[in-house]
Amino acid sequence: MYICSDVNRFSMKNSQLYKGSLTTIVMKLLEENGRMYGYEITQKVKEITKGELKITEGALYPALHKLEAEGVLEVEIENVDNRLRKYYKLTEKGTSETINRLAELEEFIKNMQSIVNPKLT
Amino acid sequence: MKLSAEQIERLYQFTRQHYVEYYDLQTELVDHLANAIEEQWQQNPKLSFEEALQIEFKKFGVFGFMDVVEQRQSALNKKYNKLVLNELKTFFSVPKIIGTISAVGIVFYLMKQLQGEFWAVQCLFFGLIISYIVGMVFLMRRNKKRNKQNGKKWLLKEIIFGYSSSAGLINLPIQFALHLKGENYHDGLLLLFSFLLIVLGLTEYIMLVLIPSKAENFLKETYPEYQISVGSL
Repeated sequence: MYICSDVNRFSMKNSQLYKGSLTTIVMKLLEENGRMYGYEITQKVKEITKGELKITEGALYPALHKLEAEGVLEVEIENVDNRLRKYYKLTEKGTSETINRLAELEEFIKNMQSIVNPKLT
Repeated sequence: MKLSAEQIERLYQFTRQHYVEYYDLQTELVDHLANAIEEQWQQNPKLSFEEALQIEFKKFGVFGFMDVVEQRQSALNKKYNKLVLNELKTFFSVPKIIGTISAVGIVFYLMKQLQGEFWAVQCLFFGLIISYIVGMVFLMRRNKKRNKQNGKKWLLKEIIFGYSSSAGLINLPIQFALHLKGENYHDGLLLLFSFLLIVLGLTEYIMLVLIPSKAENFLKETYPEYQISVGSL
């Protein structure tokens, strides 16, 4: 998310680096937006990262289902435009878990930065 | 432009054609595809419904929906195991633990009396296996009949009614029954046998009777749409 040159664009979209962070990204989005449905999440990520990061459908739904089974997310159903829409939102457990995971991720980013870009002071 | 009811029905059919058997998963994928198709129409209104659908489906990769289905299965299996474990825990907390301990005591006493005739104890283990298989067959049949009536399959329901990972519950008692010999066992070992017998028996009871009897509650909790769709039928 820090490097935006065209050279990196292609590789970034499918990068292995993002895989471990997918659940944290989803949880962070839900923390900010309350409840969201699957398609909305993919679009939101695309929008925020200006298309740099695309969450694939094949990865998003399994991640959502796993979090749901773990009790981190709960679901709501609504009838929208002739069809049923499944919304996900954080449970109480999920909200506190999000704080932990974000702290962990920030720590990770900080460590990576000091490795990749060591300050000379 | 929004999708029509017929087009939504076509999407349901499409997911079924691509091996998504379960209504809960179908619903989620249908909504996803529908959103994506509508988005494509905004960019390119001339695109036909089928073309847009094919473009979206390709985004799921060469295995299509298989990955999503498989992982959903493993997530719900985990959930089911947790349900069984939670129920089992209640038998080891007050007040039920009194009954559990007495049952272990009775079995222990019986085993001690039957030291010379271990075939009787073996029979107990085999009895567990047979009752488990009979119970499972019974549950599966009942579920099949119900599915025929309303035509919708729910993954968690399938797991509850007989498609769960049950190999352990058959294999473990068999191993015990086969390895028991007509020797004089140490009291501690006998106590362990009694304990295992009771735990296996309780697990069987939970899987065959307790959870199926509460299935409606679990299903409504997992699938808010369960009520809507059953109610509309």
